[in-house]
Amino acid sequence: MGVTDWLEASALGVWTRESPSIWAYPTILTLHTIGLGMLAGANAVVDFRLLAFAPRLPLSSLLPLYRFMWSGLAINVVTGVVLFVAEATSKARQPVFFVKLTVIALALATTVKIRSSLLQDPAIEHSGTIPRRARQLALLSLLLWTAAITAGRLMAYLR
Amino acid sequence: MDGFVAWLEATALSRAVVGHGWVWPLCETIHFIGLSLVLGIAGFFDLRLIGFLKRVPLAAIRDLMPIAVVGFVLNLVTGLAFFIGMPHQYVRNVAWWAKVCCLLLAGLNALLFETLLGATRSLGAGDDTPLSAKVIGAVSLASWLGVLYFGRMLPFLGNAF
Repeated sequence: MGVTDWLEASALGVWTRESPSIWAYPTILTLHTIGLGMLAGANAVVDFRLLAFAPRLPLSSLLPLYRFMWSGLAINVVTGVVLFVAEATSKARQPVFFVKLTVIALALATTVKIRSSLLQDPAIEHSGTIPRRARQLALLSLLLWTAAITAGRLMAYLR
Repeated sequence: MDGFVAWLEATALSRAVVGHGWVWPLCETIHFIGLSLVLGIAGFFDLRLIGFLKRVPLAAIRDLMPIAVVGFVLNLVTGLAFFIGMPHQYVRNVAWWAKVCCLLLAGLNALLFETLLGATRSLGAGDDTPLSAKVIGAVSLASWLGVLYFGRMLPFLGNAF
């Protein structure tokens, strides 16, 4: 018996998958969607700011948004692990699941890069023009988070 | 209602939505991207109204509203595609009606904000919002989360898959 069989047969796996309770699979899945909205949504705010859609928005005032991103990420790591445990054998065989994990890793790296190198750069804040590198990173972030959502959604359709 | 469902399901548009295997997954994906844009930008504005993120000038967030509107239109179009494709999944689904109610509440609330609290729009960095704006922000955030909740619960509280 492999690790994924063991996970799926665990008490947590069985409860998540088989409990008729609204608090089992339905609520965990809904929390995963709320976490997605917090993480990708707050990211989009920063990215569109860096793409000059809202030039009057002070970059440094967006720093508290990262609390919402990290909260969304925490919700989705926990709920994502539980959702995986519930259907470990089939999900571990889905190529799109590994595409999703890879894309999320790249997207997170981009988010961290933007947070550490751009949001506290006084040159960007006060010059009024956004350097090419910042715009490229913002566009990359938007594309990667969109790809992460797409891969996640396609897990329900591609076997 | 049954007659309407039968008529809608016989339309060419309905058959196009369910007749191609890729249309539904594509619309679902777009629906989740739109969700993120609406929740991210409207939620940002609502949090500022409630009293969080005080260093953000309210007027500046409004510059992002066109993007939230794009997200909403994406979701309206793909949502209509779901409804036209499989109306029987929704017309007797309690979660769908709850979702529609939350959408109407969010819309009326936004209208109330625009008509009553026009001056709030120009609040700058550090300015506190009046209590009325805090209430409207909280109602807005709750109603958008309600739209998301009942949308995600369509298969579990009701009969949609």
